Amino acid sequence: MQLESPLILASGILDENGYTMRRILEEGAAAVVTKSIGSTERPGFTPPVVAELGENLLNAIGLSNPGIEHFADEISIAKGIRKPVIGSIFGASAEEFSTLASKMESYGADAIELNLSCPHVKGFGSEVGSDPDLVEEIVTEVKAKVSVPVFAKLTPNVTDIVKIAKAAEKADALVLINTVKAIHIDIYARRPTLSNAYGGLSGPAIKPIGVRAVYDVYRETSKEIIGCGGISNFEDVIEYMMAGARAVEVGTALKTAGRAIFDNIKTDIIRFMEAEGLDGIQEIIGAGVKR
Amino acid sequence: MIHADIIRKEKLSPTVSTLYFHWDADVKPGQFVMVWAPGTGEIPMSLSHIGKEKAFTVKNYGPTSDMLIKLEPGQKVYFRGPYGRPFSVVKGKTLLIGGGSGMASLHPLINRNAFGLIAARTREEILFMNEFESGKVRVTTDDGSFGIKGNVLAGLKDLDVDAFDMIYACGPEIMLYNLYKYLKEKKVNAELSLERLMKCGVGVCDSCSINGFQLCRDGPTFTMDQLQYMNEFGTEKLTFSGTRVNVH
Repeated sequence: MQLESPLILASGILDENGYTMRRILEEGAAAVVTKSIGSTERPGFTPPVVAELGENLLNAIGLSNPGIEHFADEISIAKGIRKPVIGSIFGASAEEFSTLASKMESYGADAIELNLSCPHVKGFGSEVGSDPDLVEEIVTEVKAKVSVPVFAKLTPNVTDIVKIAKAAEKADALVLINTVKAIHIDIYARRPTLSNAYGGLSGPAIKPIGVRAVYDVYRETSKEIIGCGGISNFEDVIEYMMAGARAVEVGTALKTAGRAIFDNIKTDIIRFMEAEGLDGIQEIIGAGVKR
Repeated sequence: MIHADIIRKEKLSPTVSTLYFHWDADVKPGQFVMVWAPGTGEIPMSLSHIGKEKAFTVKNYGPTSDMLIKLEPGQKVYFRGPYGRPFSVVKGKTLLIGGGSGMASLHPLINRNAFGLIAARTREEILFMNEFESGKVRVTTDDGSFGIKGNVLAGLKDLDVDAFDMIYACGPEIMLYNLYKYLKEKKVNAELSLERLMKCGVGVCDSCSINGFQLCRDGPTFTMDQLQYMNEFGTEKLTFSGTRVNVH
């Protein structure tokens, strides 16, 4: 897949409505990943579904989605601009994932991202994505079913992410990382802030965790990696790329910086490349890994 | 999450109350907070009072607002914010058009230069009528139980909208859409504060978006110019699950 810059909108952020995805592409993202879509409609959890923790965010939206049968319109609206739209899907079995992937491909998705990592819904996401055998089965079946590239988004909530990365090695790329499972308690209300109690932590706090995951997987596998987790400026992008990422996904930073973040980071990266005398951004991929 | 003790409660109608509390924050007209009823839910609420003493005016229409309206002085309210782009405040003559509980968001703009048009379903839902100077307010009710019978457009019929330096409106989307179509033909300055389903309040979840603009961050107030490029306005929206449906 060809991207005009390494900057992709992460799944779960401003990607439920096709018009929003289209606007984000128009305003500078190189590609967008859709909200994760499942087999049937899910309302998701009752608000509060987010807790603002400074610049970080704890969320448990609950995989709300209209169901795959109702998502074709959003993809075609988003594709009104000719940039890649990556369809994110979640399921409980290899069969479910491969059915969803075919549908996404038929809607015109340019790639499939497998959500093997949502940390807050029982039976999906990280519960599926921490079982290496199941991950291997899902990736294998989806790869056999679709011809567009397949990305596997992995969870940091495991003992050894390299083991999961190796299980997913048939994927065209690995997306590292999803949110970190966490809880916030309101001390005056004396209860968890999120209605679901558990949520996924995102934002600057998790960046070093993401960089470490990219670093480890880059050293141990030959997979292409898309970095994700806490990216809010060009330095974060460069750092992820130096750890081994070829592209990055940006999400929570839109809360603080708005949709303009993609254009702003792109400008700063070009300046960095000029100052550092780089001919192409790919020169820095893995450049920060200790040999 | 911010928490504050309720210092006073004012019952405006059988289904509407204003809850007052101290909150040392700079809030502008049209901004909102996400109010949490622990154990029940969280909803966006406009602040109807934004001075040293803050307040929101709540109408019971669902589980969370039902919990909030039951709160009494001494009990705590939990909220986060303020969020959203405020109305732009202008000097000169203003027209405030509020549909139902949409009047709450317009309340901070009531002053001696303001003329009010309150559109309610029935007389019980008329809010803040007596806060306008005498002779400077008119009311429409859908059922004709007070004022002019009909919707907001019936109230505008013989009103010279050009005479106002700014028109502010807040209410249900269908009402605002009808108003927008009416005002579009005239050369007027207007800002409409939209209401849509909102989950996060901080511009990330996409529940409240219209044509890629997030109500919670780019709005809830939009100018006539901005609205003309939004083909989802008044036509389509996403449900709680994200399913595209007609606004009607």
